[in-house]
Amino acid sequence: MLDNLVLNLRVAYARLWVRVKGGNREPEWLVAEMFIPVLTLSAYVFMYRMLHAPPEFTGFVVIGGTMIAFWVNVLWNMSAQFYWEKETGNLEIYLVAPISRMAILLGMALGGFVNTTLRAVAILAAGILIFQVPFSLSEPVTALLMFFLTIVALYALGMLFASLFLLYGREAWHTANLFQEPVYFLSGSYFPTSSLPFFLQLLASFIPLTFGLDGIRQVVILNKGIADVWLNVLVLVVFIFVLLPLSKVALNYMENLGKKEGRLTLRWQ
Amino acid sequence: MAVSTILKAVKQAIWVGWKVETNWADPLVFAIYYLIRPLAGLLIVGFIYLIGSGATGVFNPNYFAFMFIGNSFFIYVVQIMTTMGMLIHDDRSHYEVLKHIYLAPSSLWWYILGRALNGVMNASISLLLTLGFGVAIFQGLLHQQIPINWFGVNFPVLALSLVLGMICFVALGFLLCGINIMTSRVQFMLSEYVSGILYLFGGVVFLPEILPSWGQAISNALPITYFLRTIRFAFLNQAGSAFQTDLLYLAVTTLATILVGVGAFKIAMYKARKDGLIDRKEEY
Repeated sequence: MLDNLVLNLRVAYARLWVRVKGGNREPEWLVAEMFIPVLTLSAYVFMYRMLHAPPEFTGFVVIGGTMIAFWVNVLWNMSAQFYWEKETGNLEIYLVAPISRMAILLGMALGGFVNTTLRAVAILAAGILIFQVPFSLSEPVTALLMFFLTIVALYALGMLFASLFLLYGREAWHTANLFQEPVYFLSGSYFPTSSLPFFLQLLASFIPLTFGLDGIRQVVILNKGIADVWLNVLVLVVFIFVLLPLSKVALNYMENLGKKEGRLTLRWQ
Repeated sequence: MAVSTILKAVKQAIWVGWKVETNWADPLVFAIYYLIRPLAGLLIVGFIYLIGSGATGVFNPNYFAFMFIGNSFFIYVVQIMTTMGMLIHDDRSHYEVLKHIYLAPSSLWWYILGRALNGVMNASISLLLTLGFGVAIFQGLLHQQIPINWFGVNFPVLALSLVLGMICFVALGFLLCGINIMTSRVQFMLSEYVSGILYLFGGVVFLPEILPSWGQAISNALPITYFLRTIRFAFLNQAGSAFQTDLLYLAVTTLATILVGVGAFKIAMYKARKDGLIDRKEEY
């Protein structure tokens, strides 16, 4: 039992190391991942300025643009990672090794978190410096709590999506592509979701990022505290407790299905 | 090379592009895929307008139409840059067919052009779907007035702008192909850089006049700025708009883009052949 735990922790650390090393060894990638989100974010800030909207909307955009970095990482470097691994021939090595798939995903998630945090801090700093965002923070611990719960819930969702890539190729790739902008929209990355029509808010409530973003913005920009965002905290905890076990079940199911249909090592599908 | 051979190569490349893009899904799923992403983008800017205007209490339907047209027609940039930005990487490293295409009697140029035209075709499908659903959602469901007379569109100006714009974006795509053939692992970021810069400085969702002076200078040098101005003229029929001047600037900046894009691709292909990069395999 203990040996198994140690082994899987070593697996997670090994995958984390590869992710951190691989993610930061190419400076052009590092610069691109910091610079490109600032371009889109800036366009939306200028849009609000053209509308003469109050300055807190600039803060909403900067916070949303920063958190989007994590969503993109979850989508492409977590969910879609098994697609890359399949194409490069690594997936079969993972599957025959005497280790837990969840340990590999945990390593990917932790590595992705480290890398993305570096980029997110740069995006946030650029946003604050360029656009003079009016932050008003009196409960930093609550802000950190909201942030970490959002991240854990997002990566748990990423683990769940990763199971799809065990079985599918381009369909899953296009699905990941499909989840990018619609999630930006529904989660209210660039505006408060409270202004969306009811049925869209209902759809948005299935995405952990919606609650995370709303909570972080309330604490960091609108100077609210734990008493105002406790519901967001609760919902994120529920997301985590539902998504993590579900992702384990989905991984096992998809792996077995993939074995039966002979699609685990199928390339170019 | 005979014209008939060129046309055949372009036609085959369009067909290959269509098959590569669509053979993972049935037509309905494919149409949904080509609708949802751009529609989500339009909904983001649409709701920014509605929420931002709601906060100030000032609704300007003309600005909504400006942003609606700009964001919708930006689909061409995104689609062409994505298609041409990934083309060399996919064919060289992933599917390993670039060397075979290079060896074929027809030129690689016409193959790339055909794949780009497939991107234009897909973008046109996306555009029509997005405009239709955009009007249905904002005007039909959310009762946001969009002051566009859909029956009064200036089709000659629209057609001329589209032709010049497509030539320009495809030339820009050739530049990306040239960079990609000389490098590896930058394919994803290249198209995003180009799309991001054009989105910010091209006057897509806001007037470039609110940018700082250096930003306005960049905006004035970009063909997308004039492309969107002439497209907006065709749809919005703004009286007093100097569309002839914009059309002239679009033609001039398109010509400059062709010279840079095609020239860079030509040099890159020469160097790639010389340095043995045409069948370089990485990542897979």
